[in-house]
Amino acid sequence: MHKLTENILDKLTIDYLRNQVLKNAYGNDDTVIAKLDPRVLLIWYLFFGLVPWFLNDVALLLGLFLFVVMTTRAARIAPLVLFLFCVGVFSQTGYLFIVALFFGGNAETIAPLLVMTLKVAVVSLASITVFSGLDPDRLANGMLWFGCPGQLSFSISFAYRILPVLMEEFQNILLSFRLRGNPPQKKTFIGKIRYLGYQIKMIIQSFYPLMLNTAKRSRTTVEALELRGYRYSLQNPEVKRMKLAMLRVTRQDMIFVVISIIWVAVCVAISAALQDML
Amino acid sequence: MNPDNKITQSQKMMVFVLSMSLYGLATLFTELIPSFQVGIVEFSVEYFLFIPLTLAMLFDPLSAAIGAAAGELVFSEIMLGQFGGLGELEKFITVTIGVYIAGRLVKDPRRRGVVAAASIIGVAVQQLMGCVVDILKVQFAVEDFEAVAGLPQSVFFTEGFACLNDILFSGILFCMLPTMYLVPKLYGKIEPLLGMKPRDEKTVFSGENSLSPKIIIMSIIGFAAAIVAELLASGGYELIDWEAAWAGSTTNIIIAIIIAAVVALVAIGVIRNRAAQAER
Repeated sequence: MHKLTENILDKLTIDYLRNQVLKNAYGNDDTVIAKLDPRVLLIWYLFFGLVPWFLNDVALLLGLFLFVVMTTRAARIAPLVLFLFCVGVFSQTGYLFIVALFFGGNAETIAPLLVMTLKVAVVSLASITVFSGLDPDRLANGMLWFGCPGQLSFSISFAYRILPVLMEEFQNILLSFRLRGNPPQKKTFIGKIRYLGYQIKMIIQSFYPLMLNTAKRSRTTVEALELRGYRYSLQNPEVKRMKLAMLRVTRQDMIFVVISIIWVAVCVAISAALQDML
Repeated sequence: MNPDNKITQSQKMMVFVLSMSLYGLATLFTELIPSFQVGIVEFSVEYFLFIPLTLAMLFDPLSAAIGAAAGELVFSEIMLGQFGGLGELEKFITVTIGVYIAGRLVKDPRRRGVVAAASIIGVAVQQLMGCVVDILKVQFAVEDFEAVAGLPQSVFFTEGFACLNDILFSGILFCMLPTMYLVPKLYGKIEPLLGMKPRDEKTVFSGENSLSPKIIIMSIIGFAAAIVAELLASGGYELIDWEAAWAGSTTNIIIAIIIAAVVALVAIGVIRNRAAQAER
């Protein structure tokens, strides 16, 4: 157990986080999912993100779950994201189950919760496939095509570019605080608490220089945008058309859509057959 | 040059970008760092809300609030693939409302007492709204909510406790204290970097009073929209119950959904084509 926690703590450095996030964003351009048209994927997500909430059939939900597991595999998602997904699903429903037991629930409580867990899992895996599997620029363009506000697609593209810079800067500030600081002893229990408090205080304090630096940078960004007529281009349909001209629906997209439809149809048939048998 | 101390459009954009990138970075960390539990009390660093709160008190509150919500959406949800679709609208709206109200309550950022009170009010508003939505969500999402033994009590208990815990623990420790520390320290230093004057009583915002009825009404409407969005995303049973007459089995519903999807696809295609032709 001790070794396990050490292992986890070893991995949780800022460098590791940065690498994982970057890998997730830019590392898998060559997967099947990343090559699909973002518009097709968004519509696909609309189906797999909404429909499971309306279903109560365990067999059907299991079928959909298997399918989104396969698409997630095809998108080659970073392990960290998958780990977060597992934690998220458990904390949403598993925790509730334990507390329900505490209040006099029994094994029957588990059935509705299992259905709910499956729903949550299908929806979040579908969203992981679409939003993590796609290149951020393509995702932003797809959303722009559906008429999302230009600010949102700007935010997505901007976020992916600014994040590595920001993370590095935050790390530098933290390191310089650490170099100059004098952390309390952490041998005793009280010392450990004080050490934790010291760490949190340091993180909060390091946002002070970070805010000032980011303010400077955001002014530069906005001024550069204004110089290039960003706000004008937001409203101009000509610019939008040029920006979206690269989006094409290819044969691969069609194949993907057809496979999805067939899979869902087969799942429906199986669940109907099962219902007849019972 | 700028006697009214007005905030220009591009300065609003700067505040938006600033708030988005900083709060986005912070939420990314909180998403990745697991919270640890001592007994049933959860000590989570849930919350770096002090960043948008500070910015909302120093600059234009609305831009800072929307920027923070957008940052959370983009950095921690979309980038990590945790995007929950329509359900995210709830978080977006509650964060925006909470931060905006806190920002509007402060007139002079130099007064620490007001800053502290406003930040804790902002957190409380945001948390309470989130708590109500969460309870309603489970109530609609689980079939026969009342019939499942022990579930209603446990939901009320966990949600209420989490809410209180968040307001008192995270709220004071991670929102109020850092905001009290940062706002007076940054005041007068960060504004010149964005090319504007420090905020004081005379600064003109789009609204007039600190808490006009209009803002309250807009907040309530926004909150209602948040609840509706969340319920649509997670429940949906109500919608089906109305049409239960024809939707006898799950299969029928699915077929209907597929047909609807196809129709929607065709409609979107037609609309896009028309629009493209009209432009030419």
